[in-house]
Amino acid sequence: MSNPELLIEPVSSPGILAAKLLLPFGSADDPAGTRGAHDLLASLLSRGCGRHNHVDLADLVEGCGAGLRCDAQEDALVLSLRCTVEDAEQLLPLLAQMVRSPRLEPGQVALERSLTIQALQRQREDPFHCATTGWRQLTYGNGGYGHDPMGIAEELDDLDREALLPLAERLPRASSVLALAGSVPPQIIDTIGSLEDFRDWPEGSGNDRSGRRPYAEAVGTETIQLEAMDTEQVVLMLGQATLGHGHPDELALRLLQCHLGVGMSSLLFQRLREDHGVAYDVAAHFPALAGPAPFVLMASSVEERSELALDLLLNIWDELSEQPLSEAALELARAKYIGQLAQGLQTCSQRAERRVQLKAQGLPDDHDQRCVRALAELTPTDVLHAAQRWLREPRLSLCGTSAALKQLERRWDRRDAA
Amino acid sequence: MELCHAVLNLPFSGPPLDHWTLPNGVRCVTADMPDAPLTCLDLWCRAGSASEQPGEEGMAHFLEHMVFKGSERLAAGAFDEAIEALGGSSNAATGFDDVHFHVLTPPDRAREALDLLLELVLQPSLEPDGFNTERGVVLEEIAQYADQPNEQVLQLLLSKGCDQHPYGRPILGTPRSLEAMTPEAMRAFHQRQYRGSNCCLAMAGPSSAELRSALGSSALADLLDAPEPSSPSSPLSVRPGRESVVVDRLESARLLMLWEAPRAQDQTGVMAADLATTLLGEGRRSRLVNRLREELQIVESVSMDLSVLEQGSLITLEVICPDEHLEAVEDEVNRQLRAMAEELVSDQELKRGQQLVSNGLRYALESTGQVSGLSASQTLWDRQQDLLHPLAFLPPWTAERLRSDLFPRLQPEQAFVLTAQAKTKHG
Repeated sequence: MSNPELLIEPVSSPGILAAKLLLPFGSADDPAGTRGAHDLLASLLSRGCGRHNHVDLADLVEGCGAGLRCDAQEDALVLSLRCTVEDAEQLLPLLAQMVRSPRLEPGQVALERSLTIQALQRQREDPFHCATTGWRQLTYGNGGYGHDPMGIAEELDDLDREALLPLAERLPRASSVLALAGSVPPQIIDTIGSLEDFRDWPEGSGNDRSGRRPYAEAVGTETIQLEAMDTEQVVLMLGQATLGHGHPDELALRLLQCHLGVGMSSLLFQRLREDHGVAYDVAAHFPALAGPAPFVLMASSVEERSELALDLLLNIWDELSEQPLSEAALELARAKYIGQLAQGLQTCSQRAERRVQLKAQGLPDDHDQRCVRALAELTPTDVLHAAQRWLREPRLSLCGTSAALKQLERRWDRRDAA
Repeated sequence: MELCHAVLNLPFSGPPLDHWTLPNGVRCVTADMPDAPLTCLDLWCRAGSASEQPGEEGMAHFLEHMVFKGSERLAAGAFDEAIEALGGSSNAATGFDDVHFHVLTPPDRAREALDLLLELVLQPSLEPDGFNTERGVVLEEIAQYADQPNEQVLQLLLSKGCDQHPYGRPILGTPRSLEAMTPEAMRAFHQRQYRGSNCCLAMAGPSSAELRSALGSSALADLLDAPEPSSPSSPLSVRPGRESVVVDRLESARLLMLWEAPRAQDQTGVMAADLATTLLGEGRRSRLVNRLREELQIVESVSMDLSVLEQGSLITLEVICPDEHLEAVEDEVNRQLRAMAEELVSDQELKRGQQLVSNGLRYALESTGQVSGLSASQTLWDRQQDLLHPLAFLPPWTAERLRSDLFPRLQPEQAFVLTAQAKTKHG
């Protein structure tokens, strides 16, 4: 079976199997004017496929105490199955049916669309979500990474079965990857390719990004985004679009992410929380994406301390390009990088997902081990140069009371003028 | 296909556990997971928010923060740096009944990590400077929580429904209770609660005789024993009632219901409650999700949770819906609950519920963090048992018994009901 490509990862487990099937279309591929289309499509795949309508399918899956879902990420749709070994043979064919013969019944489309629109509305209760959405829009504009994968309510209104069909029809024709991790019964490995639902799967076309929409588009010159909300805290997000997973500079930025945001010894935690007590949650986000991934520092602080929090974030950001890390700080970051890898591979689902992600992004199976070996070679100067190349023009997204936003905007303008 | 095959005759058992007790009452448990990439050390203590006395509201959680500010021998931050330099990580969490501190580390560094963890938790320095800064951090945590209307509504449900019981109090405390705290009072709390028989250490990962024998001469062995273990004193009783509130920045309406359920020690009763929440609220084919979201299409989401607690467990139902459907939603929920007490659930439904409950537990035994947490919390509260043992309590719950013994206690009349709506309409 060449499509989907099959990867097997035996893991000792309490009789559990996790399967991940990755299809190389995500929210970044939402057609203009229908942002949210892939997320909607994803949620519909588990609402009826092949011989099963939505009720039969739920009865079958839940009757086995299993989990079956499909999620739209930025770069891909990922189908996930978790079940016991005993049920694997019965349930695995569902993954093929979801991709090759989703039903997309109009009634189910209408229900799922309505649920998504309600969920989008409710997310506005969360100031962190509002700051994130604002930062995406500010940084990627109308490009593929510019919106939450769930989409935009006004554009979802018009999405119906006809609009989804062309997106659904191209799913089986693309190169896809299926990983099985956990207690994998040997007979399944031998037979999966000849199971009826997997047989005669079309050859995958290359996953060429040309002809697809750009990741960032119509990005304005504004460097700050304000979202007024009557909250106690101000949420601050500072960062910029950087590079894709597997880029030669990625490892240096990942070490910086470890240095800034991983663990209680991290710089953000130490400066904002331990030294000044101006935040509870702090974070450095740097997801592994195919395109220019966000590198973002995040904190939230009550109004009267938010200017200090912003000052601290800006100082930290600027230092990255101004002075090299000490050898000790770099060594700690290396240890964290290795620790993060181990922590991200503890469950069968995590392992299966990592396998399909590497394969889909064209990276070797031993990419992570190669990175670990390359860590020792990276010097503080290398990391400094990477920061100078990628972290020079941050944008700021804020969510909080109007009064706080005004004050912080003035602070930002002073920096821009300088 | 026989759907129930995995429930009664599990082909897999959980990781083998080994339990023992130190002379001063400290309970120890190891879970052997030979292939695990990381070892988890997890120290649990009967020092949750329910063990706070008047004037101490929020102390258990604040102390959990202060523990990481250093000890007699470890300067502030030295612990985190040492653990993280080993490629490990640490964290902690405070609940109503207990608090725990855990460290994930590569197996060959677990011995060093153990000494560091014990030093930190058992000998916190509680320096006044660090105390004041960290109080600011906790106040930020309270503010962050206050900005999530969903959390506020849930807390309100607990406060109203649990009446005077400690489970009704916010674990974080209040800005006022925090302002009044001193390092001396915190030290008294620490000395009172962190005693031998109040503590349990769990270690999950590749087995290590060295680690095991190290415990006998570790700081844990020096801990004073308690006159008697801190135990749940006041049984929980949920006050039936009903209230409606208007909440700022809520984007959709909420219907919340709270019931009391058997305490953790009553494992048969807990299993029934788990089965009930599954039948009613887990998955598209559960009664409430199927009826409200799939058929009537009047709600965005339904979730039903069981919190297993020592003084009495809690069942919460949360339904999120557009404002205009709130009344119809409540009527339908009530109708569905009544039907459960009148009609028998079908065989298929019961098997589905058993399968979901049973697999839920199996899925929770994958990582060392999950396994150490589960084995420590069971051992801390005198349930030294195999991790899959609770499933033995599942088969006796037949459709007849569910109807006669369980669902009559999950009726609208026994619940505290809270409805919440937004103050202003959004366009």
